[in-house]
Amino acid sequence: MKHRHFLLIIQSGVLILLLSLAGCGKETDPSGYDEHDEESDSHSEVVRLSQEELDEFGIELAKAGPGKLNIHVFLPGEIIIPPDNLAHIHPRFPGMVKQVFKHIGDPVKKGQTLAIIEGNESLTEYEIKSLIDGTLVEKHLSLGEVITDSDHGFVIANLSQVWAMLKLYQKDIPFVKVGQKVVISSGAGLPESTGKIAYISPIIDKVTRTAEARIILDNAGGRWKPGLFITGQISVTDVDAHVLIPKSALQYYENQQVVFVRSKDGFIPREVRIGLTNETMAEIIAGLPVGETYACKGGFTIKSELQKSEFGGGHSH
Amino acid sequence: MKRLIDFTLENRLLLIVLGILVLAVGFYNYRQLPIDAFPDVSPSLVQVFTVTEGLAPEEIEKYVTFPVETAMNGLPNLDHIRSVSNFGLSVVNIYFEDGTDIYFSRQLVNERLQEAREHIPEGFGNPQMGPISTGMGLILFYYLEDTTGQYSLTELRTIQDWLIKYQLQTVPGVTEVLGIGGWEKQFHVIVDPDALLRYDVTINQLIEIIKANNLNVGAQFIEKNAEEFIVRSVGLTQSIHDLENIVVKSVNGTPVFLSQFAKIEVGGAIRRGLQTMNGIKEVVSGQVVKLYGSNSSTVIRLVEQKLAEINKSLPEGIKIVPYYQQKSLVEAAVSTVTNALLQGIVLVALILLLFMGSIRPSLVVALSIPFSILFAMIGMRYFNISVNLMSFGGLAIAIGMMVDGTIVMVENIDRLLKNSNRDESRMQIVSRAAREVAKPILFAIAIIVVVFFPLFTLHGVEGKMFKPLAYTVSLAMFGSLIFALFFAPVISYLLMRRPVKNGKNKKVMNDLFIRSIQTVYRPLISFFVKKRILALALAVILIISGLVVYPQLGSEFTPQLQEGTILLRLTMAPSISLEESKRITQIVERRIIKVPEVDKVITRIGRGEIGAHTDPINNAELTIVLKEKTDWALSQSQSEVEVSIREAVGRLPGILTNFQQPIQMTVDELLEGVKAELAIKLFGDNLDVLRKKADQIANVIRKIPGAADVQPDQISGTPQLLIKVNRQAIARYGINVEDVQKTLRAAVGGETAGQLFEDVRRFDILVRFDEDYRRTPEAISRILIKAPGGANVPLSQLTNIEEIIGPRQITRENSQRFVSIQCNVVGRDMASFVEDGMAAIDSKIELPAGYYVSWGGQFRLQQEANKRLAVVVPIALLIIFLLLYTSFNSMKNTFLILLNIPLALVGGVVALWITGQNLSVPSSIGFIALFGIVLENGMVLVTYLNQLRREGISVDEASVLGATLRLRPVLMTAITTALGLIPLLLATGVGSEVQRPLATVVVGGLFTSTILTLLVIPAIYKWFADSKNN
Repeated sequence: MKHRHFLLIIQSGVLILLLSLAGCGKETDPSGYDEHDEESDSHSEVVRLSQEELDEFGIELAKAGPGKLNIHVFLPGEIIIPPDNLAHIHPRFPGMVKQVFKHIGDPVKKGQTLAIIEGNESLTEYEIKSLIDGTLVEKHLSLGEVITDSDHGFVIANLSQVWAMLKLYQKDIPFVKVGQKVVISSGAGLPESTGKIAYISPIIDKVTRTAEARIILDNAGGRWKPGLFITGQISVTDVDAHVLIPKSALQYYENQQVVFVRSKDGFIPREVRIGLTNETMAEIIAGLPVGETYACKGGFTIKSELQKSEFGGGHSH
Repeated sequence: MKRLIDFTLENRLLLIVLGILVLAVGFYNYRQLPIDAFPDVSPSLVQVFTVTEGLAPEEIEKYVTFPVETAMNGLPNLDHIRSVSNFGLSVVNIYFEDGTDIYFSRQLVNERLQEAREHIPEGFGNPQMGPISTGMGLILFYYLEDTTGQYSLTELRTIQDWLIKYQLQTVPGVTEVLGIGGWEKQFHVIVDPDALLRYDVTINQLIEIIKANNLNVGAQFIEKNAEEFIVRSVGLTQSIHDLENIVVKSVNGTPVFLSQFAKIEVGGAIRRGLQTMNGIKEVVSGQVVKLYGSNSSTVIRLVEQKLAEINKSLPEGIKIVPYYQQKSLVEAAVSTVTNALLQGIVLVALILLLFMGSIRPSLVVALSIPFSILFAMIGMRYFNISVNLMSFGGLAIAIGMMVDGTIVMVENIDRLLKNSNRDESRMQIVSRAAREVAKPILFAIAIIVVVFFPLFTLHGVEGKMFKPLAYTVSLAMFGSLIFALFFAPVISYLLMRRPVKNGKNKKVMNDLFIRSIQTVYRPLISFFVKKRILALALAVILIISGLVVYPQLGSEFTPQLQEGTILLRLTMAPSISLEESKRITQIVERRIIKVPEVDKVITRIGRGEIGAHTDPINNAELTIVLKEKTDWALSQSQSEVEVSIREAVGRLPGILTNFQQPIQMTVDELLEGVKAELAIKLFGDNLDVLRKKADQIANVIRKIPGAADVQPDQISGTPQLLIKVNRQAIARYGINVEDVQKTLRAAVGGETAGQLFEDVRRFDILVRFDEDYRRTPEAISRILIKAPGGANVPLSQLTNIEEIIGPRQITRENSQRFVSIQCNVVGRDMASFVEDGMAAIDSKIELPAGYYVSWGGQFRLQQEANKRLAVVVPIALLIIFLLLYTSFNSMKNTFLILLNIPLALVGGVVALWITGQNLSVPSSIGFIALFGIVLENGMVLVTYLNQLRREGISVDEASVLGATLRLRPVLMTAITTALGLIPLLLATGVGSEVQRPLATVVVGGLFTSTILTLLVIPAIYKWFADSKNN
């Protein structure tokens, strides 16, 4: 009966561990720390936990191993129309608008007539035509209007491609290079796109104190609307880490960053040196050799137990 | 004296009327007396709480605690100040000298608070005084049961805060109702930082705009057709919809609404505590706090009535379920002593009947019990003493003694009436009999009152605890004196008849019992009178046995009172998050609920509304509610259940456990700021040094045998994300430190932008960044700060962000930082443990200059009590000596009577040893009572022996004759006293553990001292008899 109960616990333990995060939870072997060798404990910084306790308190184990650490920076920016893809079309001579053929949003072809104007002096009608293929995005004239200046006319943009302009702060400048891959997202349910940095401005803006990085985005579907605020996630480097662990394994213990490693006696805090990190993962430079089993989740409970035995006297209740 | 007694005998009607009046007034007062479980031992304390959400302990100490502390220095009657600066909360405890009026002290503190407020920077919180209550103020805890399962925790909490709380607070005697659990409803404006950038608005501008669009104003009135029309403008936001439609700015005539910047939804406030139940769900609960000085039983009754009323008005399916009530404790404690009292009265009456052999004198004697008790009630009302375990305990102790005076009186009257000659009138006989014993009765009772005199000098907790007992004993004894001297002769005269000649048979039968004892006793006493050395040897043997046993007794302050409620306190790592704390607590709850006797487990984690306690989130208090005793499966007693709960809890990695009781814990906390029997305080300045040394001390203490639950206060161990502004970096952009900090506070911590009113209910509007933009240090480092030039600069460009470990809390006493190490003592007495502990710390720990250790907790109380008693007890003894000397006018007689004391002590000590109890304050009081009783017995005997000698009978003969004749009163007084206490000795109810040592000592002591009085004193009387009379 008792045996069956134990098996059940092991099984549920396995299940929980399998369901846990990637890189965390392949280790289910409960051997190595039975209660019987508790007497021989001379090491004060050891925490012994049974498999049941590991399960109940949600402590998960993993084996230290190599991994790829992707380091990235996040930059704010916006989508703009590439200046070369933009055409401002104005009536050349002052005159009255006789006819308008295209409206905002209409696709236009190069050479297509947009409007007919009657010149004030010549009193002859002339056509104004699109200079590029694109979409009519601005229209500043209406039927019957007498146009005397160059403020009125059409703006046509070719949106088959747009530019993502990212702001580069001083601190980011050393990491960001032309050619790096960028994931552009604008949140709020809009899709992400990937591009490459095509250009970084050689000077820094006097007002905003930022440089600019340009990514040319294909915009065939028109999903990137100019003016959209975006965030660019740039993979600065891909590091092949000798040992890569989830950040959830790291604990502060006695003002040191430690990982709880399972030894023959139990869990011991191991001071580690941390290399590069991203939001979830950390590279371990020293302290945790490949192949060692460590607590990748629930290290906090082990830490608490250690601190407790410091002042509370081990197992005394 | 003669004239007084004659006067009373002549004015019998007056006396009877007076007597009935005393009884009536006494009874009326009894009905008016407040009823508590036990005396409130809370100190005169005013607490000042300041909530500053989001501020770290260092800042709290610097900006809040320090100004408050400084302002309070130098208040009149100030005893000491203790403070705790926690994350987001400053608590300053201002202790006044005992007996300071609570309203007076609160007024003083309030005046100074004004001053303190001026020194606290804007936005750092507003110091408030705690509820007008004491450690015993938490009278009822309840939780909301939602049987429909449809209400969210936020809705339940709103019901608690706006429906239940306000209704309960109208109950007279309730000073506050504190809610905890669930979420306080708030309107959350979850800002998208990208939108801020897009529309070029900062979060602080957004907050100002929200505030500016949420207002009602009045504009006086206009006159219209001889009528006044009040002009008011309504602009309050009343719903999420209103909030969403606030126009933030207008671009080219296009309004930009708040909804374009933020998601607006109903959410829960940031919380520092929650309440879980049975390991499966969170609940919303409330704590009812009683007003200082109000009558617990009345308040509880009214609260219960109100709860029933509120239950009816609650939405369908929601029910208030109380899970802790002081009522049960009050009822149990009072019924324990009341039962003991009633049983005592019955036992005493039976003994009277047995010894007196007839009903009439027994009736006279028995009447002295109600008279003395009700007399004491009048006094209790006058001295403001509530009915509680201690005051009624005092009466229970006194039952046996309050009949003594009357026994002596009535016995003498009875005896003289039986032996009287026919010439004397009945009144003359009664008067003569009364005069004969009036003086010894007066002295004997005076002595009993005097021996209780030291108790009146007790201070602090022990004073508050035991003074009620001293008062009631003294009052009852005083009442019994009045009865014995003035009423007993009158009533005897009215009730008792001369024996009729033909009633001889009856008389013989009546006296059969005492005669049979006398037939055994007489040869025995003759033997001892002849062989005095043997009597002496008997006494010496007894005393030696006492001396052997005495060192084996342990000592403690007061035996632990079983409140009947089991509380388990969990302490987790200080840096734990609330969610983790909840997860772990629920694991423990699930373990406990498996114990078959447990009905439910309800846990408070951290704190709810500020007032009753200030626990951080790593503290969980599990209230374990047991099933009805009839439903218990395995265990028989509560202690057995406790054992199985302990087993069920088992080993908990990373968690300290401590079994406690609600009132005891709150009171302990108020007393020393710690929750254990013993508190070692280490004073010093540097937090790191304090922590290290405290750990060392704890390690040393832990090795001392008997140490349990040793635990230094966790002052360190809270990880901080420290964001240091780089002054050079901000200078380049022209940004102020404040710009950075304000944005940080609003973005990460959230900022309240006014309130949204739903009728009278008001809810905060909290503006905060979307969680994705503030969850990680990396995200925080990307928060943009707007520079005056128009640039948006990420935080990481302007600040250095680092993770450090900071202090969890900073405790101070009298303006000095300290750390305390808590400790319980198991299986040995406190005093010797402390001695060992002090020695160990002295020898093993080296403290830097300016650092020192002081010991507190229950130990300190005991020490203080001992010190005071060491002065007062000798004084009392001296007074007794003088009284005896005045009474006997003979040094030898006085010494003979005082000889009773050591023998009585022996009995008490041995009785404690046999029953396995410790020396404690209650047992000391037992010894004190014992003094009085045995001296009384001695006096009765020696007075009579002297009288016989004066009548010309030889010493030897007088010894035997006197002892035999006085056997009845001596045995009667001793047995009534002892039997009066037997119910206390055997009681198992709530509170019995406090009275038991007292009863044990008196009963044990009476046993040995009666042997002495009856066998040894007559035997060695010869050596002490005055030579004058020889």
